[in-house]
Amino acid sequence: MEEEHQDREQPEIVRCSEPQSHCSPDDTDSLKAAATITLDNTSPAEQGCGTEDPPPCKLDALQEISSTNGPSEPEPEPEPEPEPQPQPQPQGPGGEGPLEASSDQGKVGAGEENGPSEPEGPAVEDDQPENASDSASTDNTLEDSSEFVVTVLARGSLEDQGEGPSSELSEASSPAQAPAPSHRDEDVTAESWRRHRKHVFVLSEAGKPIYSRYGNEEALSSTMGVMMALVSFVQSGDNTIRSIYSGEHGTDEHTVVFMQQGPLVLVSVSCSRQSEQQLRSELLYVYNQIVSMLTQASINRIFERKKNYDLRRLLAGSEKILDGLLNLVDSDPSFLLSAVHCLPLASSLRDSLSQILQKAITPNLVFSILIAKNQLLTIVQEKTVIEDARLEPADLHLLLNLIGASSAFQAGEIWTPICLPLFNPDCYFYAYISYLDPPDCTVCLLLLSTDKEAFYAVADCKRKIDEGMRTQNALRAIAKAQSYSASQVGVSDLRHFMYKPFDVPDNHRQLTQFTSPEMEAPYSSEEERTRLLDLYRYMHSRIHSNSRPLKLIYHVAERETLLAWVTSKFELYTCFSPLVTKASAINAITKLLRWIKKEEDRLFIRNPPKYSTTPNPSKSSRGGKGGPDRQDTTDNGFLSLL
Amino acid sequence: MKVKYNIDIVASSPLRVIKRRVSRAMPDSGKMKKPDVKLVILGDMNVGKTSLLHRYMERKFKETISTIGGAFFLKQWGPYTISIWDTAGREQFHGLGSMYCRGASAVILTYDVTNWQSLAELEERFLSLTDTAKDDCIFAIVGNKADLTDPKVLEVEPEEEGTGQPPVCSPPTVSPIVRKQVQREEAIALYGRILRYKLQDERSSLPAERMCFETSAKTATMWTCCSRHCLTWSFPPS
Repeated sequence: MEEEHQDREQPEIVRCSEPQSHCSPDDTDSLKAAATITLDNTSPAEQGCGTEDPPPCKLDALQEISSTNGPSEPEPEPEPEPEPQPQPQPQGPGGEGPLEASSDQGKVGAGEENGPSEPEGPAVEDDQPENASDSASTDNTLEDSSEFVVTVLARGSLEDQGEGPSSELSEASSPAQAPAPSHRDEDVTAESWRRHRKHVFVLSEAGKPIYSRYGNEEALSSTMGVMMALVSFVQSGDNTIRSIYSGEHGTDEHTVVFMQQGPLVLVSVSCSRQSEQQLRSELLYVYNQIVSMLTQASINRIFERKKNYDLRRLLAGSEKILDGLLNLVDSDPSFLLSAVHCLPLASSLRDSLSQILQKAITPNLVFSILIAKNQLLTIVQEKTVIEDARLEPADLHLLLNLIGASSAFQAGEIWTPICLPLFNPDCYFYAYISYLDPPDCTVCLLLLSTDKEAFYAVADCKRKIDEGMRTQNALRAIAKAQSYSASQVGVSDLRHFMYKPFDVPDNHRQLTQFTSPEMEAPYSSEEERTRLLDLYRYMHSRIHSNSRPLKLIYHVAERETLLAWVTSKFELYTCFSPLVTKASAINAITKLLRWIKKEEDRLFIRNPPKYSTTPNPSKSSRGGKGGPDRQDTTDNGFLSLL
Repeated sequence: MKVKYNIDIVASSPLRVIKRRVSRAMPDSGKMKKPDVKLVILGDMNVGKTSLLHRYMERKFKETISTIGGAFFLKQWGPYTISIWDTAGREQFHGLGSMYCRGASAVILTYDVTNWQSLAELEERFLSLTDTAKDDCIFAIVGNKADLTDPKVLEVEPEEEGTGQPPVCSPPTVSPIVRKQVQREEAIALYGRILRYKLQDERSSLPAERMCFETSAKTATMWTCCSRHCLTWSFPPS
């Protein structure tokens, strides 16, 4: 099928711009490279990693995608942001060198940072050439010979669409806002559908649509068929397609990222200018959320038995959970940082909450988690289980998302199987979810057991916890707890920050956490928040670039100045007013770190308490991974359906 | 099972019938602590199980999202505490079904009157889950979404709201009338088959006319299968 496709489309390739391909060892780099290409269609050559042959196919497929699917349609969001253009100028001077002041900074590839491209703006252009050459120099090694990145400039298709690029302001920001209820019914041929900032598609290896973030999967089956054709064509050459970059620079840039996980293929089509690495990690969240509902073992088994199984049969009704996840991913930095956000709480209160949870236990209870306002209050873990495996932030994010998506009927007590993919992708836990303060429903209790039948025992724990909360009047105290403002730090130019420590005691068994103040003016509107997050994402992608990781970036943007700094002890992103000087920013960071140190008992869960619910020590030996019995996966009745 | 109440269906809710009979049959143990009766709502996804329950618990209709796993509710009903499991209809959660049904005294099998398949699923997928229910478990078959098929609902609506709670949805917004896919007779026939499946004596069991209903959680109306008489959705006060 692919071949035919290729033949048909070949002429178009020629017509449309120069396809380029790179073997890029690293996602971020390839992004830069791509951008470069977009910038001046020649530069990619210098990257010269050499996989030149595949592109034709890819390109034509891209064309196809773009025409049906709109990835290459004129850039929705950079357009509305007028500010990026001027940006390069102010930045240049500001960013010339990295901070000279504190310890780590010197090493940070100096000139690198000045260029400041905001993720959303044409400004990127200025920055790019430089990056590209930088990365080219570091790039030569093919890390994974079986993977390559295709970079393409699909100007042709762009022209086909003949779309005016301008005025997508609302579009651009909309994904971050509450989703319109009618996403499922969206007309997938409409221009508005194409303009979504980030599309996510999930399909099976047989090309069957499983999920689309916008629009009905059914209507997209041909599009998904093309995606699958791309994947399998490259596969037939013993290779793996990773990403496609398309678009004319500055007006339309789309990144198409492919990820294959077992029998599922996930595709992200985005014009958010995030790095490929970041998009990939988002796709992994989507995959893990699907696993959390079905387990990896059953997904694999189902497709082993029946290649063209329609997984929607099992996932029907879960679309909202995936929608919710993608909205969270776009709006909540916890996903970017892979860390959990705790609600600041006096440590004495947090301790007493933990004690309440510690007292309410029953056999096979593994985790007791209290959540308020979608942030963690406290978590108590079963001793033997976490000796085997730790609870990863990513798993907790999936749980939090599930809670958010299941709140339809809040008076009830929910009992549902849930798999924690990073803990153990093949087994189910049973989650008890209940709100402690109906009808307000702000404080949520989550109890995870390994015993499917334990509902009533676990529900009893909840009654005990209810009682404990009542006698200590804890709910009122929790209600008073709230996030803090950046102004409390007492540094005048500091607008916002995200701080993720690595040096928490007992780090090994500890949840990775981060702390961050409320986003306040000027970041009170949805658009501004998204813009700030995009800036953070950009900083993050630079810091974590595979080929050229940085330790420190001082980035002067038009409306703010950002400084990101990673050391062995923490990772810090700060946002200052634009007039801050480098010296004062460094000064501010010193003060900030001191403040965090002083407040850390309140900001973080220092020592997650434990309990022991497995009196019989032999129990702890079940399975290498500790938790739930394997049988449960087979128990859930999927196979009978086949 | 000996105690039989002859409750006028027209005057009160059929759910009430179920519960009263059931609760009598059960020992009256401590309040709140141990529920006297377990009731399970089963049915294919998207037939309106959660909406029915929501109508019952809060006398409201609101958009719900797909239930995950099962949701457990306690409801004080006169001197009795009933526990209700609102289950997810999705196949994904099928494996938990028998756990929800264990020891149930009453099962409400729900289908969507506009969707024949949802009735068929009751027999194919859900009936076997009730194996863990009590032997003398009472069954009710409820065809929901009747408002989508019968314009009469709209006429009856105004005169009956005893609670003074206006219906959430106003007539003009009601979806276009869909052809009804499931006839009452089919539901009644299913009821007979269920009794035979459970080896219950058809003569001593509640008659099908009393246990098969068509409802609309949205407009709070209900018909029994024996009459075209429209009932107010009047549940016991909470």
